[in-house]
Amino acid sequence: MAEFNRLVARYPEGKQKSALLPALHLAQDTFGGWLSSETMDYVASLLHIEPIEVYEVATFYSMYNLKPVGKYLFEVCHTGPCMLNGSDNIIDYIKEKLGIKVGETTADGMFTLKTVECLGACGYAPMMQMGKTYREHLTKEKVDAIIAECRNNAVVKN
Amino acid sequence: MGRKLLLEKAHVENIRLYDVYRREGGYRSVEKALKTMAPDAVTEEVKKSGLRGRGGAGFPAGMKWSFLAKPEGVPRYLVVNADESEPGTFKDRYLMEFLPHLLIEGMIVSSYALGSNNSYIYIRGEYAWIVDILEKAITEAKQNGWLGKNILGSGFDCDIHVQRGAGAYICGEETALIESLEGKRGNPRIKPPFPAVKGVWGCPTVVNNVETIAAVVPIINEGGDEYAKIGVGKSTGTKLISACGNINKPGVYEIDMTISVEDFIYSDEWCGGIANGKKLKACIPGGSSVPILPANLLLKTAKGETRYMNYESLSDGGFASGSMMGSGGFIVLDEDQCIVRNTYSLARFYRHESCGQCSPCREGTGWMEKILWRLENGEGKMSDIDLLWDIQRKIEGNTICPLGDAAAWPVAAAIRHFRDEFEWHVNHAQEAQVRNFGLGHYADEIHIPVST
Repeated sequence: MAEFNRLVARYPEGKQKSALLPALHLAQDTFGGWLSSETMDYVASLLHIEPIEVYEVATFYSMYNLKPVGKYLFEVCHTGPCMLNGSDNIIDYIKEKLGIKVGETTADGMFTLKTVECLGACGYAPMMQMGKTYREHLTKEKVDAIIAECRNNAVVKN
Repeated sequence: MGRKLLLEKAHVENIRLYDVYRREGGYRSVEKALKTMAPDAVTEEVKKSGLRGRGGAGFPAGMKWSFLAKPEGVPRYLVVNADESEPGTFKDRYLMEFLPHLLIEGMIVSSYALGSNNSYIYIRGEYAWIVDILEKAITEAKQNGWLGKNILGSGFDCDIHVQRGAGAYICGEETALIESLEGKRGNPRIKPPFPAVKGVWGCPTVVNNVETIAAVVPIINEGGDEYAKIGVGKSTGTKLISACGNINKPGVYEIDMTISVEDFIYSDEWCGGIANGKKLKACIPGGSSVPILPANLLLKTAKGETRYMNYESLSDGGFASGSMMGSGGFIVLDEDQCIVRNTYSLARFYRHESCGQCSPCREGTGWMEKILWRLENGEGKMSDIDLLWDIQRKIEGNTICPLGDAAAWPVAAAIRHFRDEFEWHVNHAQEAQVRNFGLGHYADEIHIPVST
């Protein structure tokens, strides 16, 4: 809540709706990596705006997940410059390795694979976003290592 | 080797930290501006410098500032556009990641010139870790008296806030960015009124790119006239180029806009040549929206003159045989790349990013993507090529914001210069599934000037 209040304080008085995008990021991070209708309604009540004002924003921006995702979300860029450097092969490899299609989550709830449009890492292609970080210059070996790292972290945390 | 004004200190160890940045001469421009110059004098120096907006449109920054309305009792705002999302562009990220204080310094001076007491950085949501870097820099600057109330005893107050976007290319368009900053969908506004009159929360607002604001620092330190001496013609100062694709040394380079495109690609100082010893086939020199050029028209203009890395030379020949400097996102394609596939990938990007307000863009981008998919997957007809041309013509110029143009131009240029590769995909549909068209004649010297 302290973090929420800090967000709202950045804007002029009466313009608290401006905090909606950052507030939705915060809500998504806090409530399991996605935005349920209940979560969105809660954000609306905090900002004193109508729920529809939250829904229309949440559905517009690609970073808000409107359904549950795995513990680790792989968002692989496949736009032009990444494609020139073999992003399609990386996507195929991840699909094969995790046994899922793009947009799916593994049965154990560990991994979700998505393709995304340009993330501004074109010089370090192919790449993907995982949580707050970028994983760049991807190769099959690096993908293996990242998957192993995630599995390891999950064990340590549990 | 050209002069570096922005990235000169990028490799100093720990330059990201305030103490190191200050020791290396940081924040001098704030001292100079706030202690010795009136706000209008700062704007005047920026005008003299000839600095052009570095986000892509290339509009003179000083002129943009001078349009800012200044009604009594109404706050004004500076908003920095850090929504960098144009495929091929990753220069602002580099600047913010490694030299956060350079942006903060430029923002303080610019805010002083514009009279903005609360300035915002709107950064693309995916650059989440850079938000932390920027917020740390802002805290350091505030602790050292460069932000807050009565900075350096000048009577000027200024605070800087960082707002994260959430994944929408369209928010790089300034009025969409303003909508997003207000907590709404990123739907561009109809202009006029321009942001300079009615921007964020209905107040006069200047929106500038990260690199533009960073360039204000050397302009104030050295003076607008000195800055204007670097470069050539109306391409003054230095420009950051983010180079990617099939080259040996992808990365961010600061150039003084006097070097040739050929040198930029082949010299070890910059791209270091085409990767894996292959040949150059094509290049998109200024971010995915600008026209793609075949190797021959990239290195030389239609008149047979050397093409240079600056605004005028890259656009020499107009869209018939030239391209644009754009955002400086330099995408290189080698002989093994397929133009149809590349164009399809970009068309998909624009379909995904269209906000949906204007029907030519909302519908047209989807149609173009589908047709290009057909062509790429061996199901295209010869008439599809003309259909594509027709659709892009009907999008261009018929939308509220430039995303429509940005989606149309790559398709138009691909057909204009690589039509035979598109036709080959139709005539050799089976073969096109197993091999690429290759280099073709795209690197051959052109003897006859291209007609319009």
